Amino acid sequence: MKLQDVDQFEKLAGQLQSLYEEVAVLSKKSPTDAMNKFKLNFINDVLRQANQFLGEKYIPFGHFSEFDADDVPQNSDVVFILAQYLQSFEKFRADNVYRELSSWYWNVKGKEGAIETIMPKRLRE
Amino acid sequence: MVLIRPRITDYHGVPLPQAQLDFAIPFFDEDIPLYVDPFLLWRSPSQQDQALHTSIVNSFNHLNFLLHKGREAEARETLVFASECEEVGLGHSKSRKGVRIGTSKANEILALFHDIPEYGKHGFSHFEEIQLYVRDISADRVSDVCCSFIKSFLIDFTIQQCEELGIPLEQSTIPQLYSYQRNKFLVEQQINLPVHPETKTPIIFVPKRWLRFGPWINFENYFRDYCPRDEIFNPGEPENPVKVLNYNREHYGVVRHYVNAKERTQEDCSNDPLFKQIPVASAKRKLSSIKNLPTGNKNKADVEYENNIVQLLASLLYPDLDFAEAQSRTDTGTLIRDLIFYNNRSIDFLQEINEDYGNRQLVFELKNVKAIEREHINQLNRYLNTGLGGFGIFVTRNPLPRAMFQNTIDLWSGQRRCIVALTDEDLSLMVNVFESKQRSPVDVLKKKYVEFRRACPS
Repeated sequence: MKLQDVDQFEKLAGQLQSLYEEVAVLSKKSPTDAMNKFKLNFINDVLRQANQFLGEKYIPFGHFSEFDADDVPQNSDVVFILAQYLQSFEKFRADNVYRELSSWYWNVKGKEGAIETIMPKRLRE
Repeated sequence: MVLIRPRITDYHGVPLPQAQLDFAIPFFDEDIPLYVDPFLLWRSPSQQDQALHTSIVNSFNHLNFLLHKGREAEARETLVFASECEEVGLGHSKSRKGVRIGTSKANEILALFHDIPEYGKHGFSHFEEIQLYVRDISADRVSDVCCSFIKSFLIDFTIQQCEELGIPLEQSTIPQLYSYQRNKFLVEQQINLPVHPETKTPIIFVPKRWLRFGPWINFENYFRDYCPRDEIFNPGEPENPVKVLNYNREHYGVVRHYVNAKERTQEDCSNDPLFKQIPVASAKRKLSSIKNLPTGNKNKADVEYENNIVQLLASLLYPDLDFAEAQSRTDTGTLIRDLIFYNNRSIDFLQEINEDYGNRQLVFELKNVKAIEREHINQLNRYLNTGLGGFGIFVTRNPLPRAMFQNTIDLWSGQRRCIVALTDEDLSLMVNVFESKQRSPVDVLKKKYVEFRRACPS
């Protein structure tokens, strides 16, 4: 793992998390309502970057890459997919961190000075 | 190409929905069920509309001038000519044909200038006040008089709109055309106008901002809310409207008071839309009734299903698709209800349906059945073959069974027919987006089409 991957991870994971939280609110209110095209465009943009970042090994579904606006995806569909991506990102983190004393660090190649991160979610729970 | 309830724009391939046009799109074979209300011209902020109202009232009051000069026959003839304006096609006629008033009715109207001194001296400020004195002067008569006196303007408006939209004009004869300059009707005027494709009769457009279901100043409203009934009728006497008309002739002040009140409340007077969507709450109620209906025709469930669907879809798909008609036909002894929408090609999907399948109108066939069967598909396919195009929609309760879905795919492969099904679940999504406004309900139809095309062999 490279230093720029850590940056990319933090950016995408943050975006996915905030999208998930926003859409989860909508979905709670009206799960069967359609997601509008404006939001869908941005969600797809983040998903495309996430797919590229995760690669075949971590991508949640091999046959899903992004939402098709013509399918009129509903709020609950979007929440479902975003939750899967968040899980995949967490799995990616868990596989690329190590513990030293009581802190967790990214496993970055050739980096002098460790980059601290948070504990993998499954260990937190 | 077959067109159900043809409109001039669809006939000439103009892909714009009613909502995007300034005029009410005329039908070829029937009237538009709205009327020109002269009060809307009077209250319009546009100087042009106000000037047109002035010219209408001036033309009407010119009849008084003719009476004063002893030219009664000329006044009567002008009024009779003005009483019908077939070319605009407004009203409730199923044939775009109307009847003029007779000479006795014309005399009755002209007599108002004699009988009521205020009109003889100052003329009318709203000529539709004649409804309050003369029996059987209805909304369409007021509208026709109005259109007749400004027909020349309406012709210019029509020509301008046709040139912008590319609707062809043909030389046609206008039987009577009012000349504001000469204050008389000119006969048999040759003018380039859009025409009915078969009868070649001219068609004139009317701005939709002037249209209402009835005039703002009208007898029913006066009779119900303003006239002093206790003064007109004795206690227990049947309330005969004729007595009110006679009372008005002798009590000009009461009518003036009514007209002043209507002028004061002019802010409440607005044009009526050509189509009004049902409110969201009503759409949800209709969806709920549909979902609770059993399939089949027991207890007339099929009729209730069809009635609910008509109102629901016409509203959900507006303004992307203009509703044309709900119709019934019989195929091999079965009564079939279907809905026809004009294909306005307002979005890419509808454009594709027009180009790939030749649909200038969309057919929605209503089936309150548990499962669509082969015969249902054949019925719809036969109907599409009559020239409606290659794209048809079932509105039914459940998704097509696998074998029937395969049947529709085979129809696409063999005959390039595209038949999709809108189910209760799809209607539910349409109502959801109708409420939330996050997407357009027509997107759900597109979704069904996209799903169908994905399943078709490439």
